[in-house]
Amino acid sequence: MIRAGRYVPYAGIAVAVVAAYLAPTVTDRYQLFLLTWMAIYAVAGSGLVVLIGWTGQIAVAQAGLFGVGAYGTTWLVHLGAPWPVAALGASLVGTALGVLIGLPAIRLRGFYLAICTLAFGELLHQVFVQAVPITHGPRGLAVDPITVGDLDATTLIWYLSFGTLALVLAVLVPLGKSRLGRALKAVRDIEVATGSLGLSAANYKLIAFAISAFLGGLGGALFSQFITYLTPDIFELPLMVLFLVQVLGGGVARLSGAVIGAVFVVGIREVIQALSTPLPQFQGSGQSLIFGLALLLVVGFLPNGFASLPGRLLAFRPSSALRAADK
Amino acid sequence: MQEMQEDRAPLKVTDIAVSYGGNKVLTGVSLEARHGFLGLIGPNGAGKTTLLNVISGYVRVDAGEVHIGARRIGKLPPHRIARLGVSRTFQTPKLIHELTVLENVLLGIDGRIPLLRPMPRSVTAHVRDVLGEFGLPPHQRASDLPLATMKLVEVARAIAANPIVMLLDEPAAGLSADEVERLVAPLRRLVRTSQLAVVIIEHDLELITQLCDRVAVLNFGKLIAEGAPGQVLKTPEVIHAYLGAQLAAVR
Repeated sequence: MIRAGRYVPYAGIAVAVVAAYLAPTVTDRYQLFLLTWMAIYAVAGSGLVVLIGWTGQIAVAQAGLFGVGAYGTTWLVHLGAPWPVAALGASLVGTALGVLIGLPAIRLRGFYLAICTLAFGELLHQVFVQAVPITHGPRGLAVDPITVGDLDATTLIWYLSFGTLALVLAVLVPLGKSRLGRALKAVRDIEVATGSLGLSAANYKLIAFAISAFLGGLGGALFSQFITYLTPDIFELPLMVLFLVQVLGGGVARLSGAVIGAVFVVGIREVIQALSTPLPQFQGSGQSLIFGLALLLVVGFLPNGFASLPGRLLAFRPSSALRAADK
Repeated sequence: MQEMQEDRAPLKVTDIAVSYGGNKVLTGVSLEARHGFLGLIGPNGAGKTTLLNVISGYVRVDAGEVHIGARRIGKLPPHRIARLGVSRTFQTPKLIHELTVLENVLLGIDGRIPLLRPMPRSVTAHVRDVLGEFGLPPHQRASDLPLATMKLVEVARAIAANPIVMLLDEPAAGLSADEVERLVAPLRRLVRTSQLAVVIIEHDLELITQLCDRVAVLNFGKLIAEGAPGQVLKTPEVIHAYLGAQLAAVR
């Protein structure tokens, strides 16, 4: 029995890999910069899909863990570690912190959990401010750029970010359909029954927190090379909110939602920037206003995010809409 | 020697007491379930579901003990008790709507196999057999099923895990006569060919009489009668506590 649908994600990844390889030759530097940004957010966002979308744990500390990945990688490189080792090491530190953040989730849920993780995210931000020997505090920390052959920095970080994203998706897509993915969804949908099924909801929550934190850290590691200068305020509340907007707007139940959401949040920022040249009132708080409005529209009309749009369009029949109106 | 040879009951509940706040929900309840069906009946609020929750580890006892085979469950969490061979259903079916029937049933086995090991083919084949017994479509999404079929899937999931004790909380509630037959016939076959002890909470006394070798009656948290259904349902105390209330409701 061959189900062609199973291979669609892999075919999609294959096409994307070829497109990504060619991207530096067909885009200008700035477009490539934006694509890289999207890929990095998609890596961090896919962690939130696992945690929020699959496991149903509303956690908002991802920006802090993103910061741990960014600062940690930079610091480990300063100490002499090769970049890949530093990135992996920092992501693992993020993973350990993620499990720590997840501990309250064994008892808390919903808003209480969200507030608790928010506090943890803010705590991490304070650590970035205070841990001057490692982070240089509010003064900021310059990131040593990595080099590979004669690739220019923009192209290198693009390949690195895209390659990481492809790898992450290649692991997570089958994971979502695996026994682990099934158990995570049980925690989300039927937590009360998990015990009677022989599944420890507490353990699976911690696994989800760990996966999510690892990907947050990995995204941060890439981000450090992308942004090249780190300050604590990057990893503050607005970034926490941005990651939430990304996955909720993109569609939190699916991995494609993290990618589409990344395109959405980076893209809309570009639109606002473009608007703010002729309309200066769109700068500053005007940006947040547009951002909020866009989110409101998405959540109002597409509660399952942009990722659900194709399915909804395909399912749309004028007759069924009429029938629904009759009821 | 005689005692050693006598096999142990799969489920033994001894002197259970549970209270919520100051409310005594169960007092001094002792019960044994052996191979076959044990009906658990009683008026609403008698403590039937609480007793299932105690056995499956969802509710802590103030006093008393539960044994699964030789093992005392003590303070084991629900998932560890489930792995001892206890499976259960809930009054409202707990299925993952986006998954298929097959996946929902496999979920009941996931916790019993190490996470990183792939699901053995023999297990999947066994699950398909169980689904076949109940006439359930393996690849249909749970969200597309009517409530009665969802309840069947939950019972199939409970039995597919090869438990030694199965706890069914009102499996027939809300089902039509035909649907009850779809539930009962395979259930009977599967229990007959196993060593399974089933505790079933049910308000449909006809079904209880038909299915159960023994029946236990709870009223206000106390066990007021136990024995063969024919006898127990004739006990004046039971008629007063349970049937009386039902008859009164009919009138």
